[in-house]
Amino acid sequence: MNALFQDLETATLEQFNERELPQWLADPLLEVARNPEKYGDREYLVEMLLAQVREYDVYADTGCCKWAYDHEDLKRTLGWLKEGE
Amino acid sequence: MAVYLDCNATTPVEPSVAALAARFLEKDFGNPASPIHDHGLFARAAVEHARAQVAKVVAARPDEVIFTSGATEANNLALLGLAEAARREGRCHVITTAVEHKAVLEPCEELQRLGFELTVLPVAADGRFDPKQLAAALRPDTALVSTMQVNNETGVSQPLAETAEILSGHGAWWHVDAAQGFGKELAPLQNPRIDLIAVSGHKIHGPKGIGALVARKRDGFLPPLRPLMFGGGQEQGLRPGTLPTPLIAGFGEAAKLALRDHEQRREACRTFRAEVLRVFADLGARRNGDERHTLPHVLNVSLPGIPSDRAIHALKGTIALSSTSACTSHTRTPSHVLAAMGIPPELAECSLRLSWCHLTPAVDWNRVTEILRRLRP
Repeated sequence: MNALFQDLETATLEQFNERELPQWLADPLLEVARNPEKYGDREYLVEMLLAQVREYDVYADTGCCKWAYDHEDLKRTLGWLKEGE
Repeated sequence: MAVYLDCNATTPVEPSVAALAARFLEKDFGNPASPIHDHGLFARAAVEHARAQVAKVVAARPDEVIFTSGATEANNLALLGLAEAARREGRCHVITTAVEHKAVLEPCEELQRLGFELTVLPVAADGRFDPKQLAAALRPDTALVSTMQVNNETGVSQPLAETAEILSGHGAWWHVDAAQGFGKELAPLQNPRIDLIAVSGHKIHGPKGIGALVARKRDGFLPPLRPLMFGGGQEQGLRPGTLPTPLIAGFGEAAKLALRDHEQRREACRTFRAEVLRVFADLGARRNGDERHTLPHVLNVSLPGIPSDRAIHALKGTIALSSTSACTSHTRTPSHVLAAMGIPPELAECSLRLSWCHLTPAVDWNRVTEILRRLRP
């Protein structure tokens, strides 16, 4: 379980420091990653979030078809995760 | 209750798979094709998450995964779906092997009826086709090569790496029926030369009624498949119909577990296998299929003098096993797989298939031995 949250923290920091993940998304993502006791009962959504962070691309929705996850996807999944609070 | 040893027919569902499927049946029931509200958006997110989980097992891209009702439909879509493009290109030759599942052999027969020429490669006594014979059978007009990954009756793994080398310089589409090997033997399916892979959910502790065709892109384009059904644009127009989110989410979870727990599962199966091999060696069983190429969770043996149905009936209170593939075991036709391996009918009629998994509990092998010894003529 904790490995999942650690992976989320690592992926978020990597996307924030080395790519184009904005701070307004990185902050709530890190809040989830650093609180496994709070979000541990929503493992499926955290897994989904991790996959989306890893495949995040600011230009995901440009071109002929969507090929990655953009800020709207992350924001929406964060919203579903927080619904359980 | 007898211990279930028929995991090649179907596997027990993992608890987390069942829980996730129940969630999307009971609570999050939205239609992924209606992403105009949160219900639909969440269902769509779940489907896309599962798509990525399935793709990861074979090192494919998520957009190369087309969900189907199972491996049978995926095989049909791959084989019959390419017919039109093949004919348009003037390529009317198809190659397959003698030990394929009926879900491949029958669509191939349908291609034959449509005017395609079919070459069926034989297999040796070890249960494998010879890649050299494949190389010899290839023609400039070969449109499609269809070879399975792992045989459903014997558990024997086919020479896919060698096949990839042979096909590297040829334009034929290569389809692999991976119903029995997906998630159980990882490397062969990750070979980028394989164009089409048919997979099943319920063989990897997922739900029944869900599978996928993985269609790898060449130069950015999917293989030129035509749908077999019409009536909606789902799955890139190749498989219309409302997506079964509970089954798809469950399949995704099962794929995730198959990848994550791969080594542990294999080790558990190897440990169980050592005991099964010992028991059947003591009983004087004859092995069907080469041990060196058999996956650790399957054993096909013949007990001379003990017809399969008598053994299965006598053992029914102790272990639940089968004699041939689940799809044909009710027909009592002799196994075409064992026949292709050159196993004489009198031995094929005495064949037993035992298949287990990491969830299989301990078996009272002394009781099994005692029952089988009593059946000896």
